[in-house]
Amino acid sequence: MEPLGEQERERLLHTQRLKAAVHYTVGCLCQEVAEDKGIQFSKQTIAAISEITFRQCENFAKDLEMFARHGKRTVINSEDVKLLARRSNSLYSSTDLTTAGASAMS
Amino acid sequence: MEKREESASGFRKETVNKILHLHFKDDKTRVSSDALLLMAEMLNVFVREAAARSARQAQAEDLDRVDIEHVEKVLPQLVCKV
Repeated sequence: MEPLGEQERERLLHTQRLKAAVHYTVGCLCQEVAEDKGIQFSKQTIAAISEITFRQCENFAKDLEMFARHGKRTVINSEDVKLLARRSNSLYSSTDLTTAGASAMS
Repeated sequence: MEKREESASGFRKETVNKILHLHFKDDKTRVSSDALLLMAEMLNVFVREAAARSARQAQAEDLDRVDIEHVEKVLPQLVCKV
């Protein structure tokens, strides 16, 4: 087996760092839900949710890029994100609330 | 604009930006600041929903600890709806 090239190694490290960041955030969010519901999450559960979230991001990224390209743009905007969230009620509401909150703040 | 209102936890814009950029096919693709904010919030909701659904599954089985099989059970609904 050939050793990893420099670029591949960099990319792998970069990915691992990002996964670690996701894992930390997922841990924090799960902690909130745990306190809210009076239940405990096993470490494997948090790792699983973290992995699932990271993988979902790949689908999100590719879809967002396609939506923007469809609109003949290179910059992904809020409308693209809203389109992404359309299938899930809770996700779609989160995009609405944030926009409403942002415009209320400005 | 940097003040966080409700929760101290959640995804940061820079992290979300880096993750998305990992998977873009085109070098020129960028994400607007607003879109990043929305994506971060969307990911917060995604994680909270995954956690809540898994927790509910564990509670339905009369357990006080969420384990990986509970996540596995709710996974199809979670991912299908996205």
